[in-house]
Amino acid sequence: MIKKDCIVLSINGRKFKFSVGTGFGDVSPSETLTHTLRRRLGYTGSKESCDAGACGCCAVIADGEAIASCMALTVEMDGKSITTIEGLEDPIEGLDPIQQAFIDEYSFQCGYCTPGIIMVAKALFMSNPHPTANEISEALSGNYCRCISQYTVLRALNKLAGNENAELATFTRASDEVEDPIPVRQELYLSPYANGHVCAHSLD
Amino acid sequence: MKHFEYMQAESFADAAATLKENTDHRISVMAGGTDLLGALKEDILEDYPETVIGLKGIKEADYIEFSGDTVEIGAMTRLSAIASSDEIAARAPILAEAAYSVATPIIRNVATIGGNVCQDVRCWFYRYPHQIGERFDCMRKGGNECYAIRGDNRYHSIFGGMKTHATPCEVECPAATDIPAYMERMRAGDIHAAARIIMEANPIPMITSRVCAHTCQEKCNRNNTDESVAIHLVERRIGDYILEHAEEFYAPPTAETGKSAALVGSGPAGLAAAYYLRSAGHSVTVIDSQEEPGGMLTYAIPSYRLPKHYVKDLADAYRKMGVKFMMNTTIGKDISAEELEKRYDKVFLATGAWQRPVLGFDGEEFTEFGLQFLKEVKQWVGKKERQNVLVVGGGNVAMDVAVTAKRLGAKSVTLACLEGKLEMPASAEEVARAVEEGVTVMNGFGVSRLLYDGEKINGMELVTCVSVFDQNGRFNPTYDHDSKTVVEADSVLVAAGQKADLSFIEEKYSIALNRGLIKVDEGTQKTSRSGVFAGGDATTGPATVIKAVRTGRLAAEAINREFGIETPKRFSKPGFITYDTEGAQNGTAVRERELPAAERSLEKEDSFTIGGEECLTEAKRCMNCGCYSVNASDISPALIALDAEIVTTKRTIGADAFFTTKLEARDMLDRDELVVSIRFSVPSGFKMGYKKFRVRNAIDFAIVSLAYLYKVEAGKITDAKLVLGGVAPTPIRAKEAESAMIGQAPSAELAGKAAESAIEGAAVMKDNAYKVQIVRALVKQMVAAMR
Repeated sequence: MIKKDCIVLSINGRKFKFSVGTGFGDVSPSETLTHTLRRRLGYTGSKESCDAGACGCCAVIADGEAIASCMALTVEMDGKSITTIEGLEDPIEGLDPIQQAFIDEYSFQCGYCTPGIIMVAKALFMSNPHPTANEISEALSGNYCRCISQYTVLRALNKLAGNENAELATFTRASDEVEDPIPVRQELYLSPYANGHVCAHSLD
Repeated sequence: MKHFEYMQAESFADAAATLKENTDHRISVMAGGTDLLGALKEDILEDYPETVIGLKGIKEADYIEFSGDTVEIGAMTRLSAIASSDEIAARAPILAEAAYSVATPIIRNVATIGGNVCQDVRCWFYRYPHQIGERFDCMRKGGNECYAIRGDNRYHSIFGGMKTHATPCEVECPAATDIPAYMERMRAGDIHAAARIIMEANPIPMITSRVCAHTCQEKCNRNNTDESVAIHLVERRIGDYILEHAEEFYAPPTAETGKSAALVGSGPAGLAAAYYLRSAGHSVTVIDSQEEPGGMLTYAIPSYRLPKHYVKDLADAYRKMGVKFMMNTTIGKDISAEELEKRYDKVFLATGAWQRPVLGFDGEEFTEFGLQFLKEVKQWVGKKERQNVLVVGGGNVAMDVAVTAKRLGAKSVTLACLEGKLEMPASAEEVARAVEEGVTVMNGFGVSRLLYDGEKINGMELVTCVSVFDQNGRFNPTYDHDSKTVVEADSVLVAAGQKADLSFIEEKYSIALNRGLIKVDEGTQKTSRSGVFAGGDATTGPATVIKAVRTGRLAAEAINREFGIETPKRFSKPGFITYDTEGAQNGTAVRERELPAAERSLEKEDSFTIGGEECLTEAKRCMNCGCYSVNASDISPALIALDAEIVTTKRTIGADAFFTTKLEARDMLDRDELVVSIRFSVPSGFKMGYKKFRVRNAIDFAIVSLAYLYKVEAGKITDAKLVLGGVAPTPIRAKEAESAMIGQAPSAELAGKAAESAIEGAAVMKDNAYKVQIVRALVKQMVAAMR
């Protein structure tokens, strides 16, 4: 059994050493990574939203993989290398291409979920520089956006992945096997962003 | 999250050793943590761990190995690794699909297969966060009630629940009758099986249903919202059925053991012991000083509550069973206790509590003893010599005395007892009956002295009782001697503090006593003398009939054990428990039909046995309390389908046994046992997959899932295995559907047939019937895709 008195985390390339315990300033064993990042270190980019691993707002990259930081104990992150949205911008090169693509495509509205989405996307692009449209959708399936920014998020990421002609978002409907389906006039109810096409009324 | 200590395990053996050594310490084991951290954050369990042992450091448990046809996956392998393994996808796609369906990528990157198979349920009542309005103390947590039975149960079981522990009604019953089990049999229309369940705990339900205080009803979970199930009314109908079919239920044993037992006292304790001893094949002799068997049942309980023919018929049934009754025989007079011990292998003493106590007030010798009054009630009939009666006592005997006196024609009956209205030992119904018939109840009074003139009684002086019990809960009344009341009466009946009848104990006969009662071991009813057991009121003081039944049964079981006969295992129905959806919503209990107060008499029974239909209505109101949640794991149905094995630090358990034996898979593990790996052989020639229906295509748990394996050869299905998840407390095999498919050629017709078979036995709840349709759809889709 190892009882940890001290842990070392590399966060955005910087080493942080914490003592573990109940004393003043110590990291409690029950502290989540979200808590450590936001309240202890001030890295408030990753958000604490549902605190149950369901929304993806707190996503960070740990040793190359995207995880929900609210579902990870800081003590268990000992020795790991963590990247948050704050560590994405290169001091010389500037913004990460994903960040730039999000700006270019205006892929956010309120922006609360955006850091989590970008970190999950970053992890995907690190392991797979040219993901398919489906791979992108799947990777982001744990991220929730309540302003419906996902159409523009997918457009940005698909552009980046080189899926210029991909059907960027498709309607998935239940395969209703009813004998007499109610006809839906798709063309009337289609969102201008639904297929990723430029619409006469859109600004871009 | 509240604080806990954290320890990182270096190996499974290391973690197991720590768990074994620290039994007094609350420890939780954490694999990936995605389930446990959620539970800890919301503080859903009262038992918060002092220490969490993290298993993430066990790197060597993160592997997927293939050797020949066998696949072994380390417990700490993350679900993302299983979902993305090309080899798993090729050889066991069912598992790859199941792993891929779990939550979201950012969860799968952390969650492990070992943690997944041990995860807790997702019932929203169970998971209700403590911070927002306190956690639910549901049955699964050791509480009393399942809130999903009548609450929102959209996501709950469609195949019934699972018993977690004894229900409050069952715990309350001194004889521990499995009430929900017999109610379920009644709902199924099987009164015979229901009767058998009662007889396992109590062989005289036709009597207890009439006279028992049925405190079980006070503990019924329905009391929290409407009315308790009228348990005793259902029991009474079953009891009458038993008596009507006495030859079957009181059948002589198939073989004699050649052992003998003498039971002293033919009251409820003696009768209970006699039944279980005789059933086991011993020669049983019941000895009683009275003319008729039954003890208090015959002589103390008035006929209007328990008509005597029930006791007579029961005694006749016992005689046909081979029980010998030796009446008019008093121990200590006609035969000594020592002599009994010589003549019989075992002796059971249940002589009851018939002795008049000495309360020690002036004039006590002119008052009458309530029990004696009840015993001799016949000779008082027609003589209106009591005008104003005062009854002293607050128990059921006192109520019987008061009501009987009133029905005999007394002008006024007053009942004085020490206890306050809520503390009275008599059951509320009995008190209500007495009040209804015009008895005046005076609470909080003790006797001070009798007011008399020569032998003529004028009344009684009562003193205010301040408290009945002392700080230790012992009976130790204190009085305010400055506060006195006088009740005018020409007759005073004392019906309190009846003492155990120990007159049989002669000088030479030594038996340990405790405060005037025979001292016995709890659970075996053994006395200080070897081979001698005791029970009933002689060991407890005046108590209920059902308590006496309990002591009689326990003694019989202990005697049987000494004879080398084990108590037969109690009834337990295989499968899940069910209840009636509509009945559970029915807030009104069936009422007992009684004679109007004006028509009641001393001889005729006051109430009637309910009819079959009413009985069914009432049985349907029983909620069959248990846990009606569903298993949340996606991996477990897949592992059952694959016939996998769960390897722990101690043994190897088959997936089917691991996931379906107990309510929680974790309960299959000892405190210091951990899942080490999952192993299975790749089934050859099978097609397989995992279908999961949920509201959202990410994060959600299955509303219904289907893990399937099948083999199609020459156009026919030669083998199939279907496991449904999310529909019952554990994953379940759809065996009916499997056998409907095997040997058939896949077709649209077969798809429909298999779908219907898969939902056979479904017992939907109020809000979840839609799940049945989903089960059908998944099975149909599977068959439709068969090639």
